[in-house]
Amino acid sequence: MNRLKAFLRRAAVPALSVVTALLVGAIVIVLTDFEALAKIGSDPARALFWVETVNGKTVISGALGGVVNAYGAMLSGAFGDPGRIITALQTGKERDIATAIRPLTETLVATMPLIFTGLAVAISFRAGMFNIGGGGQLMIGALGATITAIMLAGQVPSPVILIAALTVATLAGGFWGFIPGFLKARTGAHEVITTIMLNYIAALVVFFALRSPTLRAAGSTSPVSKNLSPIVDVPNIINLPNIRLDYGFVVALLMAVAVSWLLFRTTKGFELRASGFNLTAARYAGMSAGGSMMLAMALSGALAGMGGGFMVIGTVGQLTLDLSGSIGFTAIALALLAGLRPSGVVMAALLFGALTNGGKLMGVQSGIPFDLLVFIMALVIMFVAAPGLIRSIWRVKVAKPAPEIAAVTPTGAPTV
Amino acid sequence: MTAAAVAVPATGEGLAARRALRDARIRGVAFAVLGVIAVYLATSSFAIPASFSLWIQQQGGDSAVLQTTVGTLWVVAAVGSAIVAALQLIRGAAFRWRPWLFVVIAPWLLALLANLLSGKPAILTNVIAGSLELATPIAMAALAGILSERSGMLNIALEGKMLIGAFTASVVSSLVYITTGNVLLATIVGVAAAMAAAGLTGLLLAWLGIRHKVDQIIAGTVINIGAIGITNFIFLRVLQHNTEFNSPPSVEPMRLPLLADLPVIGPILFSAKPYVYVGYILVIFLTYMIYRTRWGLRLRASGEKPAAAGTVGINVLAIRYRAIFFAGLISGLAGSYLSLATAGSFQMEMTAGKGFIGLAAMIFGAWHPIGAFFAALVFGFADAVQSLLSILGVGVAPQLLASVPYVVTIVVVAGVVGRVRGPASAGQPYEQG
Amino acid sequence: MRLELRDISKRFPGVLANDKISISADRGKVLGMLGENGAGKTTLMNILSGLYKPDSGQIFIDGEERVFNDPVGAIQAGVGMVHQHFMLVPVFDVVEAVALGAETVKDAVGTFDRAAARKRIVELSEQYKLDVDPDAKIQSLPVGVRQRVEIIKALYRHSDILVLDEPSAVLTPYETEELYTIIRSLAASGTTVIFITHKLNEVLEVADDIVVLRRGRVAGKADPKTATRQQLANMMVGRDVELIVPKGPAKPGEVVLHLEQVFVRDDRLEMAVNGVDLDVRAGEIVAIAGVQGNGQTELVEAITGLRSADSGSITIGGRHVEKSSPRGVSDLGVAHIPEDRGRDGLINPMTVAENYILDSYHKAPYSKNGVFDLKAVRERAAQGVKDFDIRTPSIDTTAGSLSGGNQQKVVVAREFSVPVQLVIAAQPTRGLDVGSIEYIHRRLVEQRDAGAAILIVSTELDEVLAVGDRIAVMFDGRIVGILTGDDATYENLGLLMGGASFGGGVAA
Repeated sequence: MNRLKAFLRRAAVPALSVVTALLVGAIVIVLTDFEALAKIGSDPARALFWVETVNGKTVISGALGGVVNAYGAMLSGAFGDPGRIITALQTGKERDIATAIRPLTETLVATMPLIFTGLAVAISFRAGMFNIGGGGQLMIGALGATITAIMLAGQVPSPVILIAALTVATLAGGFWGFIPGFLKARTGAHEVITTIMLNYIAALVVFFALRSPTLRAAGSTSPVSKNLSPIVDVPNIINLPNIRLDYGFVVALLMAVAVSWLLFRTTKGFELRASGFNLTAARYAGMSAGGSMMLAMALSGALAGMGGGFMVIGTVGQLTLDLSGSIGFTAIALALLAGLRPSGVVMAALLFGALTNGGKLMGVQSGIPFDLLVFIMALVIMFVAAPGLIRSIWRVKVAKPAPEIAAVTPTGAPTV
Repeated sequence: MTAAAVAVPATGEGLAARRALRDARIRGVAFAVLGVIAVYLATSSFAIPASFSLWIQQQGGDSAVLQTTVGTLWVVAAVGSAIVAALQLIRGAAFRWRPWLFVVIAPWLLALLANLLSGKPAILTNVIAGSLELATPIAMAALAGILSERSGMLNIALEGKMLIGAFTASVVSSLVYITTGNVLLATIVGVAAAMAAAGLTGLLLAWLGIRHKVDQIIAGTVINIGAIGITNFIFLRVLQHNTEFNSPPSVEPMRLPLLADLPVIGPILFSAKPYVYVGYILVIFLTYMIYRTRWGLRLRASGEKPAAAGTVGINVLAIRYRAIFFAGLISGLAGSYLSLATAGSFQMEMTAGKGFIGLAAMIFGAWHPIGAFFAALVFGFADAVQSLLSILGVGVAPQLLASVPYVVTIVVVAGVVGRVRGPASAGQPYEQG
Repeated sequence: MRLELRDISKRFPGVLANDKISISADRGKVLGMLGENGAGKTTLMNILSGLYKPDSGQIFIDGEERVFNDPVGAIQAGVGMVHQHFMLVPVFDVVEAVALGAETVKDAVGTFDRAAARKRIVELSEQYKLDVDPDAKIQSLPVGVRQRVEIIKALYRHSDILVLDEPSAVLTPYETEELYTIIRSLAASGTTVIFITHKLNEVLEVADDIVVLRRGRVAGKADPKTATRQQLANMMVGRDVELIVPKGPAKPGEVVLHLEQVFVRDDRLEMAVNGVDLDVRAGEIVAIAGVQGNGQTELVEAITGLRSADSGSITIGGRHVEKSSPRGVSDLGVAHIPEDRGRDGLINPMTVAENYILDSYHKAPYSKNGVFDLKAVRERAAQGVKDFDIRTPSIDTTAGSLSGGNQQKVVVAREFSVPVQLVIAAQPTRGLDVGSIEYIHRRLVEQRDAGAAILIVSTELDEVLAVGDRIAVMFDGRIVGILTGDDATYENLGLLMGGASFGGGVAA
């Protein structure tokens, strides 16, 4: 009982943060629906909320109706239609099953890189480093995997390519993360600035690499790599047509276990957490604070890089400039939402994976741009970091933010 | 430790001086090395012609042409480096090297540019004036950063505030133009709205940091991500389909009477867009305000030692709120420049890191408005050269050139170029009793 | 002006910091306010300076009731404050630092009238013989001068009532004497001075009246002409003070810590330790006394591997440690109780158990091959909590939520949880209540009797006299004398701490 209570107490702020952020998002949808709002004087009902039947289909319109449409599309995009799934399973037709469960598996596909990058952010935060370069590290990892796969194509068996590509992705991402860790430890350069700059540089490096005819898809004028799936592909979990869910997701879950074990069961993890709170006390206790920074950032980058690797040789199948998209930002939001706990990261990644995947259908069906979600992520971060807001909006007693979140900067660390 | 030093009790002054002298020597040697490199580069480049022209009266009019060789320019760079190296080594720690850096950097950049152009002629007036134009938003961002950090608040949200400024300026200016058809009015209202929007965003940042004690880095990140989300969203939902809301009248260059007629200098400094002049004024104005007025004294005290200000009855938190608000106004102005004066409309994520580059300029400029302005000029020059080279089709990958400002930012933040100390209490929350 | 406080009370969550305190000070007199740490002196002072509002009670100045809503109100009423930690902006020059908050401006944009401020500072400096250069940067001034800048700052605001909080904490005895002279001349010119301290000698020396605070209340008043040290001490702690820790004579054995011509630089690269020679033997307690900032911190950091010595030799148990890391030193069986436990000794957001293993987490039985044995950790931590009587709800409570005394016990329990041959304890009882002080002292003596060598660094004379078998006095980075037995008196220590070598001559 007590554990349940403790869990609920802990979960109150994250849950209410997400709800509040979605509500603010709804307000934004309403306020930007000028076409509907223009009718507010002449026909307020049609302007706000209107249900009618057109050609036998129920159509909802109006500004508030737009919210229902948008969030409805997001839900069905994320989870599919339960009735349809049951029917499909009953008929047993492969194609029907695949179509019915695809929204669900696509949610898991979207979740996979979020787990990797969320863990990456969590591990760096724990060590007192605010890594907002997850996107860049993922890109560099993906680039490493792409180059490896294309270079080794046809020379060694596919499983070897798979392992080599993932190894290179992990190492490359790790290196990209190590740079800001090293700079912080040696010169005090603030990681927020260096990781952002490295994000821009990573994008340009990938762009530059994709100019090369070796990497670029034959005949393509836009900077995209060759399709990698004929060379190497992460095996799928379910063998159905059009289902992309592969073992990368399982590896992501294993990584969550590994990170949790590292942080809480090993002496290295203890050192990371100790220096994340208080650099001078860690030094007095004989730990190398600089070493912890570099290690945490390298591990963080490695996780993000591995995620990028799994994307290009698995779910996505090729390297594109917008591969990382808003993953870097989402990772920050979900890691904070998770209270920097690996188990929480998995849960929060599932939530954001659903939002991300549903957000795509929202964009197609109701014309609400996906970027609304980026705004919602920012709000989630804000509410999690300032529980006082949640308290005053919802009039509930909430726990203070965890010390890891309340102060990202450890005691004794230099500032910008 | 030598016996001699034991015999003479080491005083603080003496040791600090010795350390400064050591740093001075390292700097001197570094300048000398730059000189030697320039000489080396000169030896192989006398055959390559370098042709720079300067407009005398105005764009497209008579021009003065500087016809020389790349090698000669490298020799000039070598001489500049050598002079500064010599001064540094002779005068030691007493040498005020930062201003002299210009004598090293300017000819170096010119020679480097000529080298990259490898014989193609270039119009120097445009390069310099372009650098000034491109430096303006960066310098303004740096000024905003200086205001915040001098008051004790970190401000990594400059990027987001600029983006909001760029967006608001474009939309409001378009709307006013549609309704009134008055270009000047549209621009003024658009800029004012951009400043107000970014100023309010600044207040949100301050409120999160001060009232809710949100870590100032996290609060800044919220604003940066939120700004991208909301501006992209509205752009895609509204502006994309209604381009008339995103077609502001663009801000055109304005020749300053008399000053613009100065030969050579006029076309460079005084025929620019009004933003550039506002930038000059802001730099001078803020320098005076920060170092000569009561407001500046209190601002600096809040950033250095807030408790000292609080105990004599100064409302530190109010100072911080105000500083962040002013910083917001300036970053809004900088943002409006991007949409009104460069692109002609708002584009998604058009700040492209300029807010962060502004922070780097702030650090490189040692938290001083004039220093930050010159630092911004270096970044502006890199931008100008990059566009020049890509127009001329010089054989360097544009992606590599484009990454130069980001790499330089990292180098600056890492303090590789002479470490300086910022306000001592920046980023630390202050509890007012 | 005459100052009177009537029935001032102030409550903080969990403590009644001031409980109906009534005191008064007459014009031109010096009121000495005596009390231990936590007696409520600082709270009272913050009320007087307008930083806190009292829950109840009144303040009268020249018989007129005044209410201070903020520091400005107090300043306008003529109350000037010299804080223990100087409230001066280090990068400002004296003119800016003094004028801050009371600047005069000469035009509409608010240009600071520097010339006027400078003129007035020069006048004040001359009038009260404060000898301050108005154009010097604060950070380049010695602490004694900074204090005089603080006094000018108060006078600049026309303060008639000057409150000094622990003004001698960072001063040498010579500078303290100078301060007394300044205080007397201020009083002679009509200023009312309130002198807050926990040092008995000081109130006897400089005060016209003495009031003693204890646990938020006025414990008594005394006349410096008739009061004795012992009486004041009794009033301060509320019972006969045990100035002597129960301990037998030391039985010194082998040399454990050997320092020879050790030189160490501080963060600004100034030489802070100027050739220290010292031996600490097994079974003895050597106490290093001295005014704060005479190289003690840097010396301890050099011994414990936190700072590399410039030159000289440091051996522990015969092993050279000049190049050792903190871990290397700790692995030799060296316990280190750091000076600032909140910052350096504990990680406040981590649990008691985690803090208990903070410097031996990498060793058996806590971990093997880098992996924790959580059962062993919890068992040992629970045992430590029990053995050292740490009052905590559980070993999973965060260290930051414990009281200062219990936090220090966590540090001591941790440091003594492994066999030690050398204990380095820096200010081990700073800020603790009397009970915790006694407890810590007893544990240190226990370790000595078990055969460890103990080095204590303290700025409290009572502490070094109580626990030290030998007392080394540090001044300006040197050991200027070592006192034992009957030589170890307040007077001799005071002389040495001020830089006079034992026997009268002044050390170079």
